[in-house]
Amino acid sequence: MSIVASRTNTPARIVGQIAKWLVLGFFFAFTFLPLVWLLISSFKTNLELQMRPFALPETWQFINYVKAVSISGLPRLFLNSILVSSMSTALAMLVTSMAGFVFSRESFFFRQGLLNLILAGVLVPIIALMAPYFRLTNALGIYDSLWALVFTYTAINIPISTFLIYGFMKTLPAELEEAAIIDGTGFFGRYWRIILPLTKPGMVTAGTFVFLFSWNEFIYALLLTSRPAVRTLQLGIRFFNSQFFTDYTSMFAAIVLTMLPTIIIYVVLHEQIIKGMTSGALKG
Amino acid sequence: MKGIVRSLTVLLMVALAFAMASCGGKEEVAVEEAGEVVLSFPTFWVGQDSKSGPLATLLETFNNENAGEIKVVLEPNPDTDGYRDKLNTQLSSGRAPDIFVFNPDPTTFQYYESDVLMDFTDDMTGAWRDSFVESYVLDSTKNGQLKSIPYEIGITPIWYNSDLMAQAGVSAFPETWDDFMDAAEKLKAAGIVPGSQMTGGSNAWTSMLWFSHIMGSLGGPDVWSKPLTDPIYVEGAEYLKMLYADGNTTRDAVGGDAGVSGGHYMAGDTATFINGPWYIGRIRGDAPEVHAATRLAAAPQIGEYSGHQIGFMLSNLAAGNTDDPRRRDAVVKFMKYMTEPDNVKMVSEQAGSLFAVKFELGADADPLQREFVRAASDASFAIGHFQSQVDVSVIQEFGQALAAMALDEATPEEFVQMLIDVQ
Amino acid sequence: MAIKSRMNKFWILLFLAPILILFFAYFVYPLGFIFVTSTVEWNGVSTPKFVGLQHFVNNFQNKTFLLSVRNNFIWLFSNGILQIGMAALVALILARRPKFWRSLRTVYFLPNVISQVAIAMMWAALYNAEYGAINQFLVAVGLEQLTHNWLGEFGTALPAIIVQQIFYIGYFMIIILASVMTIPDSLYEAAEIDGANTIQQEWHITLPMTKDILVTAMTLAMAYGLRHFEATFLLTNGGPANRTSVLGILLYKRLSALKYGQASSISTTLVILGLIMIVVIRSTIGRRSSASDLTQ
Repeated sequence: MSIVASRTNTPARIVGQIAKWLVLGFFFAFTFLPLVWLLISSFKTNLELQMRPFALPETWQFINYVKAVSISGLPRLFLNSILVSSMSTALAMLVTSMAGFVFSRESFFFRQGLLNLILAGVLVPIIALMAPYFRLTNALGIYDSLWALVFTYTAINIPISTFLIYGFMKTLPAELEEAAIIDGTGFFGRYWRIILPLTKPGMVTAGTFVFLFSWNEFIYALLLTSRPAVRTLQLGIRFFNSQFFTDYTSMFAAIVLTMLPTIIIYVVLHEQIIKGMTSGALKG
Repeated sequence: MKGIVRSLTVLLMVALAFAMASCGGKEEVAVEEAGEVVLSFPTFWVGQDSKSGPLATLLETFNNENAGEIKVVLEPNPDTDGYRDKLNTQLSSGRAPDIFVFNPDPTTFQYYESDVLMDFTDDMTGAWRDSFVESYVLDSTKNGQLKSIPYEIGITPIWYNSDLMAQAGVSAFPETWDDFMDAAEKLKAAGIVPGSQMTGGSNAWTSMLWFSHIMGSLGGPDVWSKPLTDPIYVEGAEYLKMLYADGNTTRDAVGGDAGVSGGHYMAGDTATFINGPWYIGRIRGDAPEVHAATRLAAAPQIGEYSGHQIGFMLSNLAAGNTDDPRRRDAVVKFMKYMTEPDNVKMVSEQAGSLFAVKFELGADADPLQREFVRAASDASFAIGHFQSQVDVSVIQEFGQALAAMALDEATPEEFVQMLIDVQ
Repeated sequence: MAIKSRMNKFWILLFLAPILILFFAYFVYPLGFIFVTSTVEWNGVSTPKFVGLQHFVNNFQNKTFLLSVRNNFIWLFSNGILQIGMAALVALILARRPKFWRSLRTVYFLPNVISQVAIAMMWAALYNAEYGAINQFLVAVGLEQLTHNWLGEFGTALPAIIVQQIFYIGYFMIIILASVMTIPDSLYEAAEIDGANTIQQEWHITLPMTKDILVTAMTLAMAYGLRHFEATFLLTNGGPANRTSVLGILLYKRLSALKYGQASSISTTLVILGLIMIVVIRSTIGRRSSASDLTQ
């Protein structure tokens, strides 16, 4: 927005500017400093970390990084996390966009009740679901596989995903499809060629939630897998826990190592994501 | 825009391929050469745990010796909370792991009541039984059933830093509580914090152990047979409270966890501490001067009793029940292998842990470890820690109630009442 | 406008099948399991013993339970109002695209991408009474009397955790920002010409047009407030003396103690509280918003 240039610098504006940058700066510090701290701490010894957490390391403990790298299969865990998170996101997007399309465009018996039921799922505390999910996963025969995680993560995120995508689809007017219907486009065509592309902003938002959830999830990643070959990053990071002691500094080194590709992927994708969010929108 | 849809589709395909590949691999573990019995062994003795190295060695040797017949596969679960949650979930679904670590306490002993654990009562006889310290086998037997094998034990004497004591002019470890309080004053005068404490973590470990020592001195070998409503617990609470008063511990003890408590001791901030032999490796590596200065002692005497130690079963080995006789034999064979005195000795010397199996420490064992063995054998009597005597809910509440008492928000009576109420 | 042909019905069913299957398997079945177990006493392995609504009755007489409920409501407001408020503020600022706005947007979101354990650890270190940066700073500027054992004192523990949580706004800020940026510039230009200043523009243009997303974000944030668990678990485990306990923590403790019946009763209570919350939102804010849909 280039309107700002036309304004003169009244005292109120200057105060406004200062306030604005204070706010931005405050949140910047809040979010960025932990990362810096994490990086520095990853070069300390555990005792140093405990007793002098905010000083610079006495000697830079590169051995922490050696330890982090040498735990078996860190790259494999990373790959698994990417696979599981991507698959969960893709599946969730597919399933909930299909449902959102039907909920927002068709009317049928139970429509409102069903919708409310699904959305109410956002209230369920996930820890309480350990016993049922374990049984379900075993009953389906997918215990100890990536699919167990994919289905679980997709399912857990159905309420929030539906919430966001359906909410977005509702704002797309019916007229958009009328021309297509007259042209003879079928049900699937309306969904795939018209509504879905326009829902990108909603899908991107929902997708971000699902991806992050799957990426950070730990309890079910542990519960539903056994072999190291199907384990995810969060378990690898806990590798540094043990019964009476946690090797935080090596854990931080592992986190830093995995953070870098994560951040790169995120930064690269984010541009795409934001482009996605703002294109196809109701501009002008 | 089309690009995104396309790239997502490609990603989907790739992911599908990979996932299928890794899914198919499910067979790779279960692939049995004709008739091989595969036993999965989830445990947290992996990664940074001091037993991870020796355990891996033991497993490799066992698998080699039994190639084609038995194969034991480790399932690493380093996070103990996660391990416990998963185990509970599995057991509640009726699917016990083949072999696993079983931490015995009144709550987990409930598992004995069902059929989900393998019953070793008839196997634990003769020579095998003799290789154990009998009291642990008895403690692991409930209602005449032995459904877990004693393995790693804990002994938790009072630790003190002899250098810091000397600095403050305390010549010998105090024998009575009054001496102990005097020593505390001298330490404080020299700028040293008398003791490490903690109300945090899931069990307020350090303070819970102190409480156990105190109760032992007040009530003797049978103190734990008294119910929580007995006034002796309130008396114990009063002494526990003193450990938190007047700067007798660090300011972050309330809410602090094991990292705080152990950290202060290792940093030379505090003069006393409590933990078990598994901590030896940690302290030797991170704080060698403190390691060299550490001595062990019995708790200062309060009541009629003294010279006692706190000893308990830390981790037992258990197995899932099975009808298949071959599997059963394989499991028993593995259990006997793990508890063979030579194997136990190897783990003990490398990890610092102590075990329920009788063996002799070698000549080059860590001196501090020898101290532990000496403390155990010199003890007038031994009692378990509070955690081994009460339901998990009480232990969960212990740290909370202790914080309240330490902050003067609860009296010792109220402290005990909180523990009673939660049962 | 739906063409009710049999073809259509087929498509509707087909499109709903995946979500219904997943939802029934992963929500309806487990919730049924939870509701049923909340009426029994069960340790996971022995036969369950039916106790009816006893757990619920006991809960409401349990001091820690009531404390937890109170704390959950505090979280509900902190997340739903304070956190969303700040997220909206930052979104509004960034929507005007000041310098570096793209980088800032990325940075604000980063904490969500890294492990919560690491962030919690850092804050535990910050708050530590002996060597934490906050106390050290206070001593350095001569304010030693203001030092506290932040996570270990009755009055400061809960606020300390709340502070740690609510300033991480990245999650919600992104959604609100996306929504704000869909508002055409032309509206703002027109308002500018009419002489409206920034604050007036935000108040009269942006807020009404993003109302839906704001209500959505608020509802979600409040739901998270009810489900709150991890930060408290990592920082205080509900202490000191259960003052920071929330229902999630209580639930976890019961599960660890093999008290499945009690645990399920807490889950059930959580869900019921959540439903009440939604009804309340629906009747207060919902009416004025047309598109937010938990509110129809």
